[in-house]
Parts: sequence; structure tokens; C-alpha cells
Amino acid sequence: MTAAMQRRLQRIREAGVIREWEYRQRNSAKGVWYRLRRVLVDAAKAYEVEDADADRFQREGEIPLPVGSELAPPKRIFFLPGERLRTASSRRPVPVRLGSELLQARNLILLAHGEKSPDDS
Amino acid sequence: MDFRTRLIKTLKCVGAVLQEPGVLIAGSEVPNLLEADARSTLVVSQDLDIVVPVESHAGVKARLQDIRGLKRSGEEPSVWLPLSTDLLEVNFIGMDKRSERAGETYLLEDDELPLIVFAQLSLLSPGKLLRIEGLEVPLPRPAGLLLEKLVTDRSGEKGERDLLVALALLLVCEPPDIRELEALYRGLPEEQQYAARSALSLLSLLAPYPQMPDPTPHRPLLAGLLARLETMGPAR
Repeated sequence: MTAAMQRRLQRIREAGVIREWEYRQRNSAKGVWYRLRRVLVDAAKAYEVEDADADRFQREGEIPLPVGSELAPPKRIFFLPGERLRTASSRRPVPVRLGSELLQARNLILLAHGEKSPDDS
Repeated sequence: MDFRTRLIKTLKCVGAVLQEPGVLIAGSEVPNLLEADARSTLVVSQDLDIVVPVESHAGVKARLQDIRGLKRSGEEPSVWLPLSTDLLEVNFIGMDKRSERAGETYLLEDDELPLIVFAQLSLLSPGKLLRIEGLEVPLPRPAGLLLEKLVTDRSGEKGERDLLVALALLLVCEPPDIRELEALYRGLPEEQQYAARSALSLLSLLAPYPQMPDPTPHRPLLAGLLARLETMGPAR
């Protein structure tokens, strides 16, 4: 048997062990990336807003999603309907991807699939 | 020479092996072959995966002498290297759905055709026989291949491209294929179910790649599939 195939098999088995470990860690800090992605999957659009708008949404009873508080630094992430988003004058669209713009945002408003954005013509 | 021409030429070179019962083409070339007239517009990798069921191993070995235009790699004898630039590399990989080692990733030792038998390939089952340019190309059913793509560990750009292949497969799935996917998913261990859901979430957030399907317009479809899978626990 060739050494190259043995090495490849070893890498595959190690990846399997790592995946088992990740699965066991899914409810702890290690699983936070999946929980964040899971929230984003349901979002058609994402907007960054300034603290003043996020503070107002919270005062008005909107509850940030728990996954945001698991991140460091924490984020406030809200799912809101389009008409509520319209009241956030500081809104700025960010791509719904795990890119720098979304990850650096302190406050995120998400619009669900099928929800009309105030910025749609 | 365009990619489609290279793919078809390579399939012709291994045509004898494709006639062995049970053998399947798998991997990223399947969505290329499933396009109308096998247009092959997706550029994922420059190789062709041939799945050998362990019970067909002897039969495939007997047909290796009929392969043209490729030579066995000395370093990794399950890989056959093209003798010219108009052909693709061919990888033979093992599938075990029947022996006591089914569900395990292991090495099938053999002097002539050693194979890495991949546990996740046991999700594959024979699908349509594609007839193109005088060839009969055995393809797997899309549901099993799609799920195999989702549960196999991958990383980096190759991993992202493989997820986009999964998207390409999802886009050719009919409702019965989705039901088959859900049934296969229910049969997975919880850890692999989680891996499949995690891969779907990654796929939903991928940026477009040139010459690959763009996930952006299909994000509601991916969200719906993920939500459905979440309602299914493991089979009891």
C-alpha cells in the first residue's frame, strides 16, 4: 500500500474525529458560528444601524437574538419587519455573508425572506 | 479545448470501466453531466471520480487494461494520470454498502487497484444512465450525491466550490428527489445530520464564484430545506 494513500486516509480519519468533537461542542462556545449562520440563513437582507436606533428598538420592546450576546464584542441582532426598519435612519445595507462588514457591525437588523425592504423600489 | 470536450474524451478513455455493473461517476462532474447536453459549464476540479463498489472491485480491475490515454500513478495507484493535456485525471474511489465494514472509511488494499473506501459514498445509489456521444455514463441519484457533498468534510476554496456543486445538484432535484434526500437524512447519525445542516448554512452565505451557480437567488430555497431538515430527528 502506498504511503500517499495511508496519509490521505489518516487525514480523513482525523477530520472525522474533529467533526465528532465539534458536534459534542455544538451547544457551547464552539457552536456559536453555526448559531450565527443559522440566524443569517433566514435573512434575506441585513442592515447595520447605529447604537441610537438599536437602543430605540430595544426601548420599544424588540428583543435582540441571543446569539449576538455570545459574540465578543457582542452584537445586537434583531429580526424586524420592513416597516419597522424604515424608521431606522442610520440603516446601511451589508451583505448577508460572514464578511468583514457584517462581522464588524455592532447592531444588525435582519429582514426575513419575503419581507419587503424599505429600500426596494 | 473546452472543458466539456476534455470531460467527454476522458469518459471515452475509461468507457470500458463504466460498463462494469455498479460503477458510478460521482463528484463534481455529475452536475456538469446533468446539464442539458452535458454542457459542463461548472468548473470545479480537473478530475473525474469513478466510484467502485467493493463487490465490483475484481470486475473493474479486469477492465483497467482497456483504459486508454491515462496511466496509473506510481505514488497513488488509485489515481490515473492523463497522458495529454486534453484529458482529465481519474480517481477511483471505493463504496461499501454491503460488507461488515460498510459505513466506515478504510483502505481496500490491492497491488493493482487499492481504494480508499469512503463511508459517505454509501449514500449513493444508481441513478440515470446518461447517453452521450455513443457512451453510457452511469450517474448516481442526485439526492444521495447531494447529501454526500453536504456531510463530507471539506475546507477552503475547494470546500466552498464543492458546496456550490451541492447547490447545482439541488437545483436539478425534483420533489421526489427532495423526499429521498429527507429520508436519507433521517437515516444519518445525529452528528452527520448536524454536519449537513451546518454545510447548508455555509452554502447559504457563500459569495458567488465565477462559472458556479450563485447561491444568492436560491437562499430562500436553502432556508426552506434547512428548516425542513430541522424538524426531522434521526430515524428510530
